[in-house]
Amino acid sequence: MRENPCESETVLRITDLTKVFRDFWRRPKVRAVDGLNLTVQRGEIFGLLGPNGSGKSTTLKILLGLLHPSAGSVRVLGRSPRDVAVKRYIGYLPEESYLYRYLTPTETLRFYGRLFALPRRERAVRNEQLLEMAGLSEARSRPVGEFSKGMARRIGLAQALLNDPQLLILDEPTSGLDPIGCRQVKDLMRALTRRGKTILLSSHLLADVEDVCDRVAILYNGRIRAQGRVSELLEKREAVSLTLPSLPPDKMKRILALAREQLGRDPDVEHPSLSLEEFFLRVVEEAHRADSQQAGPGQSPAVAGFLREPGETASKPGEPAGRSP
Amino acid sequence: MLRIRQILALACLTAAEAVRQPVCLLLTLTCISVTALVPLLLMHAFGEEGKLARDAGFACHFLFGALVAGYAASSSLAREIRSGTASAVLSKPVDREVFFLAKFAGVAATVLAFSLCAGLATLLSERVAEKFSAGPRVYGYVTDWQTGTLLLAAPFAAAVLAGLINYRARRPFGSTAFGLLAVCLLLVLFVASFFNRAGQPAAFDPGVQWRIVPVSLLVTLALLVLAAIASSLATRLETGPILAVCLLVLALGLVSDYLIGRGAGDALWRNAAYRLLPNWQHFWVPDALTAGGTVPAAYLWRAGLYAVAYSAGILCLGVLSFRHAEMR
Repeated sequence: MRENPCESETVLRITDLTKVFRDFWRRPKVRAVDGLNLTVQRGEIFGLLGPNGSGKSTTLKILLGLLHPSAGSVRVLGRSPRDVAVKRYIGYLPEESYLYRYLTPTETLRFYGRLFALPRRERAVRNEQLLEMAGLSEARSRPVGEFSKGMARRIGLAQALLNDPQLLILDEPTSGLDPIGCRQVKDLMRALTRRGKTILLSSHLLADVEDVCDRVAILYNGRIRAQGRVSELLEKREAVSLTLPSLPPDKMKRILALAREQLGRDPDVEHPSLSLEEFFLRVVEEAHRADSQQAGPGQSPAVAGFLREPGETASKPGEPAGRSP
Repeated sequence: MLRIRQILALACLTAAEAVRQPVCLLLTLTCISVTALVPLLLMHAFGEEGKLARDAGFACHFLFGALVAGYAASSSLAREIRSGTASAVLSKPVDREVFFLAKFAGVAATVLAFSLCAGLATLLSERVAEKFSAGPRVYGYVTDWQTGTLLLAAPFAAAVLAGLINYRARRPFGSTAFGLLAVCLLLVLFVASFFNRAGQPAAFDPGVQWRIVPVSLLVTLALLVLAAIASSLATRLETGPILAVCLLVLALGLVSDYLIGRGAGDALWRNAAYRLLPNWQHFWVPDALTAGGTVPAAYLWRAGLYAVAYSAGILCLGVLSFRHAEMR
């Protein structure tokens, strides 16, 4: 009997995957992926990292059945990626926002909704919520070809979420987005994993990956060079950092003296600082409170209604999504 | 049922994208304008103005239609494969066969919309051409200047109206202009029916030769065959090579009877080439209208059957080619 894609615990299983691109004469030209082994479990955010040409996008395209593997096997939600039925449960945001430039955002979402055979009413509700989430309600009648890169990215993300997918494959999701958009995408990813969705993420922006991913694999020349939980990979076992509230100078002196006595040298002391992203979001939030007029994508809920857990309330980017009392 | 819905969605999208592209609109407007100008510029045609006008109309229909078919096919498939929109659609639950056939259906719809405009322009152009009229109020060789002016104004009116609608309602210019062009041409036909050739009010009579319609239909069938060829080529080739191959097939298919048809029985390669090349002579029959002739319905059916069979064969090859294509 066939496994139900929605109940499979192992969402992705890649075994000895190899992809060789050939030239016109069928001679091997590039070995883009070389003996890749990978497993992704339900509810995980898995990051695929690597420099340009390391085989990330090729791997993602094989997972979607757009490219055919030269060797090895791939199972997505327990099925072959060539099986069209499995794509009902997948959402894909390509590296470039591949959109029909003469369509408006509304027409774009309507078109993709029709490909999934969503009922007309459901399609209309989801389109509205996704446009609001993407902050594109005001730009709904403009052709997508006129959009900035960030706006095109937002509509690209909206189309990837239209079918409420079990597995979301995001290729450079925050590329071209402003910090608010980046934070919104990260909040969205966390909200989706709370609902048991699985996310495979490929990105160059390491800070974003570090923020959201449970596990990562680092690719180089088509091979995995490191793989594991982010916290374990980044942990410095030979050092400990201790964060204290601000103390009176005499107490501080005593603590430092004790540390010096134990270490045999002065410990490193510094004030913890905000990340630039946190600082930026704080400034923009204050500016928005002072002046609500703005030209870019509007303030929007971090997660569209149909993607939220029942009872979960809408939140603005940066705020944790909460439950209604 | 899902596949049919997907085909409809993809075909509608393809047609909408094709007619919104400036190139398709420009080709259509040029075709209509040239067809409209021919009867007004003809001089010393020895009483064959009507024949020359309709032959020029059919020629414009065929030539510009071939360019529209080739361009629409290449922009809807080859460019989508290259730009990645095909990957985005195929990452959804859409079969490759469904995608390819829907793309062809969209291109075919574009060709049909173009053919409707070109056919109407040919009908009207033939009416405009100078002809001998003998009536109580008109006697002698008369050019229908009023209809000619209206016909010539139709593309401009469609473009101006589409511009206004785009400004007021933000509707896409290309598709609006395309739709308005067909409406304007139908309006010209309707208005012209209330006037005689001298531009005087008269009892309702379209005054066009409806026997032109079957010939236009045959040209449209030829364009659909060409659209099938262009769509199949678009699975592997880029826009330039597609247009070049389409024009080559068009030229070879037009002369195949003379080049390889007569001696087809002599050599195997000639025989094979003659059968493989689409024979456009089956679809190019303006001479049948000479001296009041018509195209028999049976001929139309047989030509239609040939077009369907040939297109089906070519589309099968396209499906096979696209099934194994990699979306980089």
